[in-house]
Amino acid sequence: MALLQISEPGQSPDPHQRKYAVGIDLGTTNSLVATVRSGSAEAIADEQGRVILPSAVHYGSETITVGAKARARAAQDPYNTMISIKRLMGRGVADVKSLGEQLPYHFADSDGGMPSIETAAGPVNPVQVSAEILKKLAQRGREALCGKDGGELDGAVITVPAYFDDAQRQATKDAAKLAGLKVLRLLNEPTAAAVAYGLDRGEEGVIAVYDLGGGTFDISILRLSRGVFEVMSTGGDTALGGDDFDRTIAAWIAEQAGLGTDLDAATQRQLLDSACAAKEALANAEQAEVSQGDWQGVFDRATMASLLDPLIDKTLRACKRALRDAAIDVEEVQEVVLVGGSTRTLRVRERVENYFGRAPHAEIDPDQVVAIGAALQADMLVGNKSDDELLLLDVIPLSLGIETMGGLTEKLIARNTTIPVSKAQEFTTFKDGQTAMAIHVVQGERELVSDCRSLARFELRGIPPMVAGAAHIRVTYQVDADGLLSVSAVEKSSGVSADITVKPSYGLEDKDIARMLQDSYTHAAEDIALRALREAQVEAERTLESLLVALRENGAQLLQENELNELELAMEALRLAHNGGDAEEIRRRMEALNKLSEPFAARRMDASIKRAMQGHSLDEFDK
Amino acid sequence: MATNLTHFEIFGLEPTFELDRNALAARYRELQREFHPDKYASKSEREQLLAIQMAAQINEAHTVLRDPVQRAAYLLKLAGVEVPPEQTTADTEFLMQQMLLRERLEEVREQPDPASALEELAVEVQGLFRNEQKQFAEVFDAGKLVEAEGSLRKQQFLVKLQLQIEELEADLFGDY
Repeated sequence: MALLQISEPGQSPDPHQRKYAVGIDLGTTNSLVATVRSGSAEAIADEQGRVILPSAVHYGSETITVGAKARARAAQDPYNTMISIKRLMGRGVADVKSLGEQLPYHFADSDGGMPSIETAAGPVNPVQVSAEILKKLAQRGREALCGKDGGELDGAVITVPAYFDDAQRQATKDAAKLAGLKVLRLLNEPTAAAVAYGLDRGEEGVIAVYDLGGGTFDISILRLSRGVFEVMSTGGDTALGGDDFDRTIAAWIAEQAGLGTDLDAATQRQLLDSACAAKEALANAEQAEVSQGDWQGVFDRATMASLLDPLIDKTLRACKRALRDAAIDVEEVQEVVLVGGSTRTLRVRERVENYFGRAPHAEIDPDQVVAIGAALQADMLVGNKSDDELLLLDVIPLSLGIETMGGLTEKLIARNTTIPVSKAQEFTTFKDGQTAMAIHVVQGERELVSDCRSLARFELRGIPPMVAGAAHIRVTYQVDADGLLSVSAVEKSSGVSADITVKPSYGLEDKDIARMLQDSYTHAAEDIALRALREAQVEAERTLESLLVALRENGAQLLQENELNELELAMEALRLAHNGGDAEEIRRRMEALNKLSEPFAARRMDASIKRAMQGHSLDEFDK
Repeated sequence: MATNLTHFEIFGLEPTFELDRNALAARYRELQREFHPDKYASKSEREQLLAIQMAAQINEAHTVLRDPVQRAAYLLKLAGVEVPPEQTTADTEFLMQQMLLRERLEEVREQPDPASALEELAVEVQGLFRNEQKQFAEVFDAGKLVEAEGSLRKQQFLVKLQLQIEELEADLFGDY
């Protein structure tokens, strides 16, 4: 019934009541929170005036520490200090093993397939660690917006890399849930950066977002037209970043200073610090003095270029691939946006400018630009800006497929398809009398299932026995605006069906989240059941309200009398359940009502589309 | 299904092969602005779900309508003719032509100037493709469904050839 209130989407019920919304950039190395105040978006600082929160969590036997203090402990207490946890989000135990050598943690065996890390405070998983970071940021946002004495945030937009797969997005959303945040939307980082520059208000055109962080590189090609953003393609390298710059320069210094390759940790650290300092010095100078032990030398721009160019070339190759995926020539790119601290390096700016043939945007602090864009989007979604025309259309970064005979992948939804999207395909049984079918959902571009990421497995049972090939099983994939997948399967002749929200093989079940909420310190005092009841009641109120509005509008035109009577009975039943105290019962009644009102909703939809069209004649589009 | 309208009805367009791409793009943005789930971020779960379904259907309609081959197949489907992809054509003259084009594609690597040989081939195939689309529009509008189906199959061949040309291009000239 949703689509029923077409005249007033985006409007808040009371225009004078401003809602509290924040944008969060949950980064691998650093995280930030930003909000819109007095019409402009800004990053929120902590009491010491720092806007950047290092994405580090230290688990002591007594306390959990988040941020700079936790980061400072990484060296002396590596096993209990979680850093770069974003790399583990949505990953399974097997993935972690392949990353294992870079991570000092003690991984515990866990039953669900999600990695669990042993700490002084007991076992923790990546979702919980991310939730700690989010809680800290939410607290900062709350204090800045609602004051110290209470009040809650109405919602948050959290950014994710454009290439994040379903499991990684789901894990991010779960972390937010665990932190008690209402997620308005998961927003792709490059899209957020473009929004921060207000490019949505500019003219039409193609925008490239070049994001070089400490450890990752992302390129995204967006198309903007009349306020609508479309992510046309994405690409990048998950193991390339500014840290590689530092390592390369450090290796050069070591070589110049005549040091071997077998260096102790302290010397390595020292080399990296000198490398970083030398790199930064060249932003304003032609050359810099470098010393290491007894050796003293000069590091100049030509040397830096020769060292960094091979790495920058890699990023530009990824740019070229992304442009090709988007079917765009480099000349068509009208705006280039720089994101990530490593884009401060002068040589990067030169090469990017040279490749795209135009000066890139770098006016907003490249560390803050993503959080600022997220804050602007959050402000709009929460309804503070009802007249805004901004609309973000995204694409899925990786193809979604299903396993077929012989371990092959059949793609149902191709990568770079605009979301939301829904696709169905029919399959059949291959044995006589087969009564169940296993459905294996995978994500990736490769032919073999074993080369793709396994998202979920489930079974459709109770298919009536038939000869091979006689059953028609329709599998439907649906991806929402956050890029999250749900899958359903139905056997057409019998109507037997099964569906799941894809909870990755190594993800969290809803009951796990509920348990963790219960366990977690902040929510220990809260009565989870009461909260669930309240949520169901609010949902029931919304459902009833919107249906009433819809019925008033055109129930008479679109419904037969008996249909109307049935609907009213179901509404009454929901009202009764609402006044009772059983959340389950409310959910059941709501389900029943929703199902019953489906045909009405579809008729309303048809009518609204036709109405929207009436204002136009085809000629006006021809101009 | 959130709506029972056809792809053409959703976009308020006549079910013909020729269509105005600008009109399609403009209408798409308008529809998304109205039905995108972002517009329902603070509405009930049910409304959000419907918005997802609606937006998905709009996206699907847009994907089909903006691609000439998918559009042609959809028009035939509406007219009651299902054309599965990967069908053969009985037009021997067309098949001969395809074989010759394919041979030329295979020989591009050995040419003294592969880049321009490939470019020449691409332009030629694009021309054939355009002619076939014109042909489809004509016969379909005249209600000749059998001829329209034949034309669609030829288009499917040409699309495949175009993909192979693109693959070779990427292969020959690398990424950067």
